[in-house]
Amino acid sequence: MKSSDPYRPDDREQEPFERRARELWREAARQVDPTTAGRLRAARRGALQAARVPVRHATRWLIPTGAVAAIALAALMIWQPLPRAPASMQAHQTASATPEADNELPPDAEKVDPALYQNLDFYAWLAANDSQPVNR
Amino acid sequence: MSTLAGTLDADVPARDRLGDVRETPATLDAFLAQVERRAFRMAELQLRQREDAMDAVQDAMLRLVRHYRDKPAAEWAPLFWGILRRRIVDLQRRRKVRSIVVGWLGGGRDDDGDELPAWEPADPGQDPLGRLHDLESYADMAAAVRKLPTRQREAFILRMLEGLDVAETAQAMGCAEGSVKTHLSRAMHQLRDQLEDWR
Repeated sequence: MKSSDPYRPDDREQEPFERRARELWREAARQVDPTTAGRLRAARRGALQAARVPVRHATRWLIPTGAVAAIALAALMIWQPLPRAPASMQAHQTASATPEADNELPPDAEKVDPALYQNLDFYAWLAANDSQPVNR
Repeated sequence: MSTLAGTLDADVPARDRLGDVRETPATLDAFLAQVERRAFRMAELQLRQREDAMDAVQDAMLRLVRHYRDKPAAEWAPLFWGILRRRIVDLQRRRKVRSIVVGWLGGGRDDDGDELPAWEPADPGQDPLGRLHDLESYADMAAAVRKLPTRQREAFILRMLEGLDVAETAQAMGCAEGSVKTHLSRAMHQLRDQLEDWR
């Protein structure tokens, strides 16, 4: 039976309602099946055991320290490049690296004066005579 | 204040409103042993899935022990129920997201184009209600509580079933004490309507 104003229930009615709800709630908790109860116990022990295991401070600090070190190294590489080789060695490396050094012909025929190709026989004769010793 | 919520305010420390003595356990182990089964019931009631309920309780235990073991024992109850409540909400949100994804993939509607109910995982376990002495009454109450809006349901379980006082309930729910009273008042009103023949 309900009171006339549901927002002002009679306390004599309200208490049995709450009590009944609470009893059923407690009973439902008690009636948890053995498997579930065992798993709950295991979960509780696991949680308590996890709290007992000391946190490894080394592991805790290793990641941030490593990250900072990596960032510092990257910054160092950007702002202070590797030392340059001596100028002579660098020049040699540059010369040997260019294809012109190993090839007597100009690399790009289109950019060269076409007149050079008109007297190739003359240049070949000149090169042959130039390599022979002069006997005078 | 003469509202129903007002009548629910008379908190007696260490003793809940129905006369059950609430002893503060000396150790975390004792506290968790005291609440673990009811915590499971609360999670199960809201999640409707035993494995998810077990996960939620396990996670709540772990978080309480890890982060709050040094707190005074009197604070464990609201902290624990608050953690568990948030975990349940997280799991419910995850399910909602999963339902949305299933809907996007075309699985949210049946052959006639009608929207299917939200996805819920299958529960392969044995029905725990089958073991209850007062099966029908608990089933009625559980069904009525499940129909309540989330905040009203939380207020009813924590305040009325679990016996936390208003301040503890507010702490666990992360809201003001006035909000607890309002939610509880509405929950009681709705439950009384639904369970009129139940008493």
